[in-house]
Amino acid sequence: MPPQAVRLILLTVGIVGSYLVARALLTPSSFGAYGWYRGDALQELASLPMTYAGNDACAECHSETLKTLAAADHKGLACEGCHGPGQAHADNPDVKMGILHYSHCVRCHEASPSRPKWHKQIDPKTHFTGEKCTECHVPHQPKEVP
Amino acid sequence: MSLRVTRRSLIGKVGGALAGLLSLPAARTVKAAVQKVFVTAGAPKGYQPDKHKWVMGIDANRCIGCGLCVEACKRENRVPEGPYFRTWIERYLIAKPKAGSGEARGATLVDSPHGGMRGFPAPSLAREEIQHSFFVPKLCNLCRHSPCVQVCPVGATFDAPDGAVLIDPKYCIGCGFCIQACPYGCRFLSPLTHTADKCSLCYHRITRRRKPACVEVCPTQARIFGDLLNSSPDEPIQQFYQRNRVQALKPHLGTEPRVLYAGIDKEVR
Repeated sequence: MPPQAVRLILLTVGIVGSYLVARALLTPSSFGAYGWYRGDALQELASLPMTYAGNDACAECHSETLKTLAAADHKGLACEGCHGPGQAHADNPDVKMGILHYSHCVRCHEASPSRPKWHKQIDPKTHFTGEKCTECHVPHQPKEVP
Repeated sequence: MSLRVTRRSLIGKVGGALAGLLSLPAARTVKAAVQKVFVTAGAPKGYQPDKHKWVMGIDANRCIGCGLCVEACKRENRVPEGPYFRTWIERYLIAKPKAGSGEARGATLVDSPHGGMRGFPAPSLAREEIQHSFFVPKLCNLCRHSPCVQVCPVGATFDAPDGAVLIDPKYCIGCGFCIQACPYGCRFLSPLTHTADKCSLCYHRITRRRKPACVEVCPTQARIFGDLLNSSPDEPIQQFYQRNRVQALKPHLGTEPRVLYAGIDKEVR
């Protein structure tokens, strides 16, 4: 084989080889596991910590309260919608849930022309101004009087 | 320059190079196995991305604009303080047409103070001047043909097999192309990480069989979440499709959003 051909072959092998080595080192190992991206990203995003525990976690200890709620008008509400995020409390019951303020009721029930008609609304300026909502309404059973 | 190449040495060199190339896949497999041990710690076990197709539906007839979803999303996903939202609520105020204007509809006013997180102030129009007013929750539209995925120069944003459109924060270079590309304004550049951020459908929750945080706290079930591959006809998401006439946002763009809306007006973009 003539020496110039040998040099050409060696050069080609060297260039292609170094490209392949560089590609192998730079491409993430899970690239292409699901598609044209790093497959491990799915696992990493899935392993982020949670803040909201979900009603099922609440039901483990507070099933009675959930039963009362399920029979009342507020049955569609999640515990954490009013009481705030509860994963920390679910992991360790010594960690207390946030404190509720009655202004929370107004967040949903203040009258607004943008709100759907079927939704019960009051005008806080005329509806027993200065009184606490819980004087007349039980949050878990809004139709009952305390 | 004298280069003495014998038959023996040439075969040796070429053979060595070939052996090196052939051993690369094996080396990569080992590297992948080692990395997997570190990566999967704390991740949900037994979740198979190709066995699900998650989707969200929005019933605007039911949204009361309380902003609990926006607040829950911020807390759950550690979204930075300020004007950064993975989901937000818009209030639409469509005025009655002026008498003699010859128009079918009046002007449209849209606002979303703090993303609707702290509720909405009294509208700027009097009640009798309003023809229609309603709330529209917004989030990633989970496009079938995502413009954001198409423009990403580094493959950091992608359509996951289970329907979520996700961002790989380790590979995002923060160029912001995707933020310009998204026609729904669903993306922002995080001031903390300097990478693009958006709704991930609460990927860390749905892979653990939980609902996304916004769906969890919604008091009126205006947000409906489900798995199209594993849902019976009486599940909320299928009921939502059966009971409502639904529409997508900006259908003329050809993005084919998978998030469908019920009860919105033509003014909604």
